[in-house]
Amino acid sequence: MVDDTAYIETSFSFQFFRSTLPGGVAYGRGASTYLGTMFDVGPAGRVTLGDYALVHGARIICDEQVSIGDYALISWNVVLMDTYRVPLDPAERRKELELVPTRAHRLACADVPAHPIRIERNVWIGFDACVLPGVTIGEGSIVGARSVVTANVPPFTIVAGNPARIIRKLDS
Amino acid sequence: MSATLPSQASGWTHGQPPPNVLVGVNSLITGDLAFKRFHSRQENALVIGAHCTMDGVHFDLGQNGRMAIGDYCYFTNAVLLCEMEIRIGNYVVLGWNTTVTDTDFHPLSPAERIADAIACSPLGKGKLRPAVLKEPVLIEDYVWIGPNATILKGVRIGEGAFIEAGSLVTRDVPARARVLGNPAQVIGEIP
Repeated sequence: MVDDTAYIETSFSFQFFRSTLPGGVAYGRGASTYLGTMFDVGPAGRVTLGDYALVHGARIICDEQVSIGDYALISWNVVLMDTYRVPLDPAERRKELELVPTRAHRLACADVPAHPIRIERNVWIGFDACVLPGVTIGEGSIVGARSVVTANVPPFTIVAGNPARIIRKLDS
Repeated sequence: MSATLPSQASGWTHGQPPPNVLVGVNSLITGDLAFKRFHSRQENALVIGAHCTMDGVHFDLGQNGRMAIGDYCYFTNAVLLCEMEIRIGNYVVLGWNTTVTDTDFHPLSPAERIADAIACSPLGKGKLRPAVLKEPVLIEDYVWIGPNATILKGVRIGEGAFIEAGSLVTRDVPARARVLGNPAQVIGEIP
């Protein structure tokens, strides 16, 4: 679902889009995605972009839910993943990797649990950052460039580092 | 994938790989930049096993670079920078935008680095570059490496290790360890 006022720079972003849900990606008013953004979305995945959300080239790996709030700013080469796509156990992973080359699309799509990601409104994520499965980033917060976010971030907080740590609070 | 080959074919979607590249049965290489920076003059410089998926991978091998990749590996837009030797086992996953390098690229000493800058410049034709630190990288079987991770020179990653997204790995990783961070630290173990 794409609002009339949304902007999609390139359909290349949907090369790996496989969701069968209605509204597998939903663009809000004035939301935009630019070249380099990739919706790597599995059959039961759903990505929502809030009003005025701006995604400037993120890899969104989604098998369940990645929600990006209103006015969120997502920089280039950011990874937002709600799933690892392969089992953690090496023996189980081997079975999946033996199946990949038998598939026409050659993608990993093991039935592993996904943990939804929520990027709340007015969040800003710097370039090359990664957000791991299950993380919620609270309203108004900032994630520094190249950070890896492994745990929830409270609202109106600056985090940075790998793993990301709280730097300071922002005035709300 | 922008173009696919028949499921049992092996090779590159954008033409014939260089003659010193061996590709196993049912292994697929995609992306027009796969061999743009492939300069190795070694015999069998790059050996890729069977049933591999090398989607958008950059095989950037210097003149003396040698790289071996096992069977059933699955790499997405990885950048492999090899001036010496990179060995990767079977059933290894490299996530999107992962970098693996076996070299420092330039010397550490400031004076040598100036010489290197000159040798690398358009005016440096014929000048020899100073020696640069290189150490082989070994990634053992069943290793999983997440998106945006970086593996630096001299590192050995033990069997079944799990490298979290965005990690920067500067030291050896024990088998079945789970690591995260910059620099990467062991945060747990695969049960």
